[in-house]
Formats: sequence, structure tokens, C-alpha cells
Amino acid sequence: MIEVEKLTKIYGSTAAIQDVSFSVEPGEIMGFLGPNGAGKTTTMRILAGYLPATTGTAKLAGFEVHTDSLKARQKIGYLPEIPPLYPEMTIEGFLAFVAKIKGVSAGDRPTRINYALEKCNLLDRRKTLIRKLSKGFKQRVGIAQAIVHDPPVIILDEPTVGLDPKQIIDVRKLIKGLAGNHTVILSTHILPEASAICDRVTIIKNGKIVATNKPDNLMTDLQVSTSYDIEVDSNYDRVRDILMGIPHLNTVTIASTKAFRDDRLRLLITSEGSHEIGRDISTALVANGIPPYEMRRIQASLEDVFLELTTEDTSIIKEISEPVDQLQTESNGDKQE
Amino acid sequence: MKLVWANVLAIYQRELQSYFITPWGYLIAGVFWLISGFFFSILYYNLTAQSILMGSDPNLPPVDYAYELIRTFLRVLGQVVLFILPILSMNLYTEERKRGTLELLATSPITNWAVALAKLSAVVTFFFTILLPIVTYQIFALSGASPAISLEPLLWGYFGLLLLASAILSLGMFISSLTDNTIVAAIGTFGLVLLLSLIDAVSNSTTGIVTDIISHISLLKHYENLVQGIVDSSSIVAFVSYILLGIFLTAQSVEAFRFQRS
Repeated sequence: MIEVEKLTKIYGSTAAIQDVSFSVEPGEIMGFLGPNGAGKTTTMRILAGYLPATTGTAKLAGFEVHTDSLKARQKIGYLPEIPPLYPEMTIEGFLAFVAKIKGVSAGDRPTRINYALEKCNLLDRRKTLIRKLSKGFKQRVGIAQAIVHDPPVIILDEPTVGLDPKQIIDVRKLIKGLAGNHTVILSTHILPEASAICDRVTIIKNGKIVATNKPDNLMTDLQVSTSYDIEVDSNYDRVRDILMGIPHLNTVTIASTKAFRDDRLRLLITSEGSHEIGRDISTALVANGIPPYEMRRIQASLEDVFLELTTEDTSIIKEISEPVDQLQTESNGDKQE
Repeated sequence: MKLVWANVLAIYQRELQSYFITPWGYLIAGVFWLISGFFFSILYYNLTAQSILMGSDPNLPPVDYAYELIRTFLRVLGQVVLFILPILSMNLYTEERKRGTLELLATSPITNWAVALAKLSAVVTFFFTILLPIVTYQIFALSGASPAISLEPLLWGYFGLLLLASAILSLGMFISSLTDNTIVAAIGTFGLVLLLSLIDAVSNSTTGIVTDIISHISLLKHYENLVQGIVDSSSIVAFVSYILLGIFLTAQSVEAFRFQRS
């Protein structure tokens, strides 16, 4: 449904995006994930026909966005970062206007407007002036204008930005409900959002695509190692000697987090690739008379994958994850006292 | 093609509607009526006083005072609209840019020139609407004049005013498409209007080939011709050229804006 090939957009001397290629199957929700300034909005705008790419092609529903611009534009519903609304109009009046300029025939208009109102939960507000709506409602009107003409392709640029948690859940549900009938491509910098609603995630960084896959597969794809967090009452050298014999074990290091009690030792063990070595570790420890007090597998979350892919400096990952761990141990310690 | 006209109509209706559902349109109309009414009264009393003074002198040629009133009033209106029009045109594109709705229009199956044409038609229609009461009440007020006035020069004069307004609004629309700041758009259009007056002043005060050229491009000169009752096709062509130039430049500037935007 969407086929993007080698899109490049150059502003002055800097490239906003470079050789971006991907495709989206009909009925799929594709998440475009990346930190701010990675080129998400630029890509969205090119797809929507708002900006021309410097080089490359993008086909939507069979129409190339540059050479067949008007036809391609008829096939898309587009929600820009700021929902494009006329504050002095009513929701219904605005949707009727959008339906008209998108070429919905006069006979189909009432049905289409009702459909959009219903999908976005706006039926009881249809006569309200847009000016009087809260941000969450405005966002919904923004989505309603993107689906009112029943486009095969829907492009949503940061659809949940600036909403409160309840509204975010509502909007996500709404987007999920669009899949199947429509092909959706949405951009976000919030990772759980992408993994929650998208069938596929494409991660973009500095204008280049770094990974694209199903959310679950992204991690195996990237061969993120599994690590274990254990707590024992022994010394580091002894434990290390015992554990180093285990196949596929990569490193044994003293964990940065504090042990539950001062006379204990907390270690971080990593394996090679995605090998599961938890059982081997516990067997070896028990056999040597130092059964662990605690053992926990730390699975790299999609968040870690994302950070690893999108930040050059890996120390940032630690900086981000460390305070959280410390907070947890501290609060545990408080309860103890 | 049918779709294009349907789109032009949709945008035209939406634009026109926005003048009537916001206080903005009424405010502009009110101020315009107040100022023009004020000038009409002054001119009327001046001319009446003059006619009483002159009427007693049989040596002077007879003057058609009703006709004189129409012409002078049209000339004054030509000056008054120069201050009203920039206020009408300043929001045409700046608002769309500020609200992000330009992105909606630009990603809809509609061309830039169609958007510009629709917007210009809407604002000209609005201007025509606020002009209508003035023309109507003038026709009624002067129907009792003796000798009876012919409506033709009056209607040509107002037609000229409408053309002048359309040309200025068209250029003002172009200026408003260059910025997302309303004040800048208004000041820019005032500057343009000032330039037009300046061109007119130059063409009035000097003679020579340069002046000839200037008087051909002077909008106010062409307007003056129509007010005088000189209906020349070259005047109409000049107005229409300005209108088309404005639409063309607007479409180009929106296109360029899309190319540059980071």
C-alpha cells in the first residue's frame, strides 16, 4: 500500500532524511519511531504531499506522490503535528468542509461524516464550536478529518502528543480500530506506544532507518544479550571462578546496585546472544554451596533497544537505568526499617 | 476539472462564512459605513451650500450637482478603501499558516491557484456586500435629483471601485502569503497602497514618456477614468492583469514556502 524508495530530503547542506526506504502492507499499522529531530515529520510530510523530496520516490495506493500528486493526495488522510482546525467552525461543519475538499460526493457526505464522528466519539459534540474544545477533543477532530473521506492510507504525525493519559489510551484505541480497513502510518517518539499499537516498527535516527520489524522481533534481530542479576553471600573471585566454566557465559561483574544486606554481593552476569544460562548458573552455585538469595533475569526491553539504536553514547543507557534501580533499592530499604 | 471547481466553491463558502460568523467582518463593515457616511454628509452639505451660492449667479455655467456629488464621493471612497483593504487581506493566508490549516489545504487534492482564487473571490464578495448598501441608498437618495441622474456613470464608478479593490486585495493576498505575522502582512499591504498613491501622484505631476508608462500601470489613474465615466477597455485589462498577477504570485509563494520549509 505504501512503498517508499530511497527518499532523501536536503535542506541547504544538511540532509533531514537520507535513503529512507520501507513499505507498508495493506491494513497494517506502521510505527515510525525516533527521537525528536530524526526526520519523522519530514518523512510524513513528503508522504502527505506537503513537501517534495530531493530524490527518491514514494508510492501510495499506486500513485507516486510527486508525479501524481493530486491523485495520491486523494488517497490519504493526514493529521499533521498540530491538528489543522478552523476554530470558528462547528465540528460537523468542519468535517463537511474537509469532506468536500477531499472530493467526497454530496450523497455520501452525511454517512461519511457520521462515520468519522462515531469512530472518534464525537457524536454528542457535533454542533460544538472547535474553539471551545479541549486539546484531547481537538486531537480527535484532527483524526476525524483524516478519516472522513475513507482514505486507504492514513498518516498520523505524533497523534498522542500533549494528551493526558486517559486521552492517550482513547486515541490509541481509536487508531487500533482503524487498522484493517485502512493502512496507517504513525510517528511517535514514545516507545511503548509503538509497541502497543503497531504491527511493525521502523526506527529512524539522524534521518536514516536503523531497524524495521515487528516489535517482538526487533530485539532478537539485534542480538541483545540476556543478563542476570543475582545476590549471593560469597566473595567475587570465588563466584567468578565457579561461573566462568558455564558455556555461553559472557561476563561476570559486580552490579552497580546495592545488595539487600551489606554482607552480601550483587552480581551482573551476561550471556552470549540470547542464550539462556539461568539454570546453569543456579545449578553451579548450589553445587558449590552458595545458593543465591535472589536471581532475576533482566531482559533488555524495547526501550533499551531503542536507546541503543538511537544514541551513540551507550553510557546514556546506564545513566538512565541506574537512578531507577537505586530508587527501587532505596525504597525497599525504607520498608525494611 | 469538475472536482477543482467543487473545491474552489467549498473553500469560497468556508471563507465567506468566516466573515459572517466572527465579529471581525461586522466590525470592518461598521467602520467602513461610518467613515463613508461621514464623508457623504460632508460632501452633500458642501455641495448644497455651493449650489445656493453659485445658483444665484446667472453668468456661471449650470452644474449637475447630483452627478458632481457621486463623482466626488467615489473619489473619496477610492481613498478610504485603501485603508480598509489591507485589513481585509492581511488575514487571508497568515491565519492559515498560523493554524496549520495550510497544511490541510496543501495535502488535499486541490491546487494552490484554486485555493488563491477561492480566497480572493470570497474576500471580494465580502467587500461587494459591504459596498451594496452604500450604492443602494445612494440610488434612492439621488432619485429625486433634478435633472434626473442617469444610473450608468454611477454603476460604472462602483464597478471600478470593485475592480480597484479586487486588484489591491489580490496583491494584499500575495503579501499575506509571504508571512505568518498578521501585522507584517498589514503593514506590507499599506506600504503597497502607499506606493500606488505615489505612482499616481507622480503621473499627475509630470509629463513625458516615463509618466505615460507610469499612468498606464497606475491603478488609481484607471479608477479615476472609470469614475469620470471614461470606460476604456485598457483600464479593465489593467485591473484584471493585477488580479491575475496577485493570484499567480500567491500560488507561487505558497509553492515556494512548501519547498523551503524545514
